[in-house]
Amino acid sequence: MNRRPQSKKASAFLNKFLFYAGNIVIGIIFVSPLIWMISASLKPEADIFANMNSIMTFIPTNATLANYLEVFSRMNLPVVFKNTLLYIGLILIFDLIVNSICGYALAKFDFKGKGLILNLVIALMVLPMEAIMLPLYIEMSQLGWVNTLQALVVPFIAKCFSIYMFRQFFYDIPNDLLEAAAIDGCSPIRTFFNVVMPISKTVYATVFILDFVSHWNDFMWPFLVMTGENKRTIQLAVQSFFGTQPVHYGAIMAALVISAIPMIIMFVFMQKYYVEGIASSGIKG
Amino acid sequence: MKKLIALVLALAMALSLVACSSSSSTTTDSSAANGDEVIYLTIWSPTDEAAVEAWWVEKLDEWNAANPNIQVSREAIDRSDSYAYDNKIATAVTSNDLPDIFYVDGPQVAYYAANGVTVPLDDYFTAEDLEDFLDSAVEQNTYDGQLYAIGATESSVAFFYNKDYLTECGVDVDDLDSRTIDNPITWSEMLEIAEKCTTDSYVGTHIIMDHGEGLPYALEPLYVSEGMDYISDDGTTAEGYVNSSEAVTTTAWLASLIANGYANIDPIDDEFLNGACATMLGGSWEVATLEESADFEWGVTYYPVSDDTGTAVSPCGDWAAAISKNCENVDAAGEFLQWLMNTENVATYAAAIAKPATRISAYDEEAMADYQEGARALFVEQLQTTASARPRSPSYSNFSSDYAEAMTNIFSDAASTGTVDEEYIQSELDRVSENFTENYNTYYAE
Amino acid sequence: MTKASNLSARKRNERIAAYVFVIPAVVLLVAFLVVPMIYTVYYSVFQYQIMRPDDIKFIGLQNYVKLIGDSDFWQALKNTVYFTVIVVPCQCVLALALAMLVSQKFRGVAIFRTMYFSPQLTSMVVISILWTVLYNSNPNTGLINSLLTNLGFNSINFLSNEKTAMNSIIFMSAWQGAGYQMMIFLAGLQGIPGEQYEAASVDGATKFQQFLYVTIPGLQGTIKYVIMITMIQAMKLFTQPYVMTQGGPKNSTKTLVYYIYTQGFQNGNFGYACAVAAVFFIIVVTMSLAMKRVTSATD
Repeated sequence: MNRRPQSKKASAFLNKFLFYAGNIVIGIIFVSPLIWMISASLKPEADIFANMNSIMTFIPTNATLANYLEVFSRMNLPVVFKNTLLYIGLILIFDLIVNSICGYALAKFDFKGKGLILNLVIALMVLPMEAIMLPLYIEMSQLGWVNTLQALVVPFIAKCFSIYMFRQFFYDIPNDLLEAAAIDGCSPIRTFFNVVMPISKTVYATVFILDFVSHWNDFMWPFLVMTGENKRTIQLAVQSFFGTQPVHYGAIMAALVISAIPMIIMFVFMQKYYVEGIASSGIKG
Repeated sequence: MKKLIALVLALAMALSLVACSSSSSTTTDSSAANGDEVIYLTIWSPTDEAAVEAWWVEKLDEWNAANPNIQVSREAIDRSDSYAYDNKIATAVTSNDLPDIFYVDGPQVAYYAANGVTVPLDDYFTAEDLEDFLDSAVEQNTYDGQLYAIGATESSVAFFYNKDYLTECGVDVDDLDSRTIDNPITWSEMLEIAEKCTTDSYVGTHIIMDHGEGLPYALEPLYVSEGMDYISDDGTTAEGYVNSSEAVTTTAWLASLIANGYANIDPIDDEFLNGACATMLGGSWEVATLEESADFEWGVTYYPVSDDTGTAVSPCGDWAAAISKNCENVDAAGEFLQWLMNTENVATYAAAIAKPATRISAYDEEAMADYQEGARALFVEQLQTTASARPRSPSYSNFSSDYAEAMTNIFSDAASTGTVDEEYIQSELDRVSENFTENYNTYYAE
Repeated sequence: MTKASNLSARKRNERIAAYVFVIPAVVLLVAFLVVPMIYTVYYSVFQYQIMRPDDIKFIGLQNYVKLIGDSDFWQALKNTVYFTVIVVPCQCVLALALAMLVSQKFRGVAIFRTMYFSPQLTSMVVISILWTVLYNSNPNTGLINSLLTNLGFNSINFLSNEKTAMNSIIFMSAWQGAGYQMMIFLAGLQGIPGEQYEAASVDGATKFQQFLYVTIPGLQGTIKYVIMITMIQAMKLFTQPYVMTQGGPKNSTKTLVYYIYTQGFQNGNFGYACAVAAVFFIIVVTMSLAMKRVTSATD
């Protein structure tokens, strides 16, 4: 008679076990390149592409820190990190404000030209950087911005992807909430800052993460507009290792591991903005 | 919310301050230059290893101390590949932001020269001065009869072999070791070795397969040895050259290596070092890595020659310094380059970057002591006797990517069918030639 | 004050607020995207060698005429469409599945999220290099082929055979890109009120029914957005073929953006590259505006 609750308990345990096992297996498939990168960064050059035919390639057998020493000697890490965080930080601050207010207006306000702007945003999403790189560079040159921080920051504040994403999420906010704020005497602008922003942390966090990551991996644009060792950004420093023959993959991997650390920290830190909502609901377990 | 707005305003102000300070600093620089007659020169060259970076700092300090009226600074350019570096030059050209002096890879010299991006250096390097430089290096940097770039270093390719493994396979390693430049191995000997050494765990040989300039660079001597270069000597046409019957024969021979499984179609880097291939047509830059990391005995012999002609040929070419069209003080830049390329500087630079030097007298310097014997001496010997510069044509860079693409297609075809299709090879090479003609006629033909 | 005038005052306020909100973004978009785009279109009617900006020649629509007869362009268009059509559903479904796995709070959820997102934390260039090695055709040097031969299969020339090259890139791209869309889905999932799940579960709905009748409708806006941006990003495929295959073999992985880049920068035919870019804009803009129409019709 009391087998039932026990089997229920057992099946709950089994469910949980399967859930974790599945997550771990899939997780390993996703994380394996990162592991390989870390492993390769600890190997002597001759070992990196050895054993590529076995799982042993993920394990550094003759671990050494020589690659990291080479990276430290070639990369001025404090300057590189400072430059990168400064320009990405500036982009993101403006990005989150400028694009979210624009997305909000497109989602919740009625005004002349709204359809036009929305279409413009969608059309411009399509522009590949490779196709407008040279004209944009000429523009920077005419503005006198080549080799200055502005060239890295200003053209990348407004982003169609972000505007559209904000718009999609703000669109789903119940109008009752905004009506209520209006009846309480909030102006539309105040409503946005006092009511909408605080309940939209997840969207802000998402845009922050995605844009941070994409700028962190920027190479071609900083390469074109910035010249000089003290202006180097992280990808410039990393990519410079590819330029010398023979290519030292060990050093490249070490440089990449170092360059991934701030992103991982950022990503883990941003997780706290994802805990609300479903967490409290009944779908768990 | 007020705080937020204040923060945004503060950042905007900070941004504009950065803008002001950067623009004001450049103006003071130029006014000083006019006032005190001090000339400032800027050099762009690719970022390199610590030893090379240190060399630049030391040498420029030395020059700047001795020449207070010509102050030189260098910017290390963090290129990821040579295309990225060319993009940076191209964008700088459009807005006249070029530095006074920039480094350029050998085969690009003609491209920049023909488009007026660089200026001739003949006033600063006379024929007499150039006698001490390797012929191949001078040839590579000359376009339309004028010298457009001057370099300190060279490169070459030769035939590396894994002695331990070749002995195991019954190849006469002593014979390979004893070859001289007058008696190099032939293609059929190379093919025989590759065939003997191809097993389940080894491929016989390795061809550079970077889908880029590495391919035409490393393979060109095969074509020249068979009797026909890629492009005509005057650089105006590829018709009847890259698609000649000799070129088809050469390409077919290469494709047979792939079709028979003697070489991998997409070999990994370090294939030879990791003991996955028995031999390789490898660059002079491999020597240091092999000395450091190889856990087997290896040897190197001269670039293989065609059985039909027996003509010995080897690749060459490396980065060289050029003066840009935006340079306002060409004489000062020329004077600086004369000093930069003196025997001692060439020797120490070549030693720092671990490449063969262009100046013959540099090999007498202590810095180049390594090059007296062994693998390094062999590369120098090739450079002095059999090196042949890549075609000096403004359309060469187009040719290079088209040729690499055609070879990828041909090899892919050979790998999937296991046979060599000469008709297909001909059609691919014809297309390379057509594209060359189109590019040359569009931009450079009179 | 009457109610009507109050309402119109609110409308007016709203309109002012709307312009204040959109102007910064619009000004920046026009200055740094629209203006360069106009230049690109402008240069497309010139013969322009990239190293000779002082020597450009007006040639009317010749670049466009050339483009119509350019088989490489059509092949690139075909490849781009093929990539997009296959990768978008794969990547979106994978991303949604991953998001469902880690949407709830459980011990270690942050670790799993980081794992799924980790391909995004490594630069595409490096991922491409690594996969080139994984896909290596020789079982002695390539992990995947080594597995295949150990299981008794023949080895496959993943990247060096025109039949498999694009599919290999698609597989790797879906794997690499899914983390990005997963984050957007996660954000969308946070917006679904928990009460809806509670109500459904009280009504006896199974997990799958909850997913079908609560999650999917709740994610409607997000799903549309994700499909649209995945499609647009897929159309812009560049880095993978650039690093892994250089568009080959036999043009099988040449995409439009790759073609624009190599024509304009590597080959120096900047005017022609601009013409290709202009045609690319028209195609993709038409596609995405059509898509927006279709999706907003159901709003």
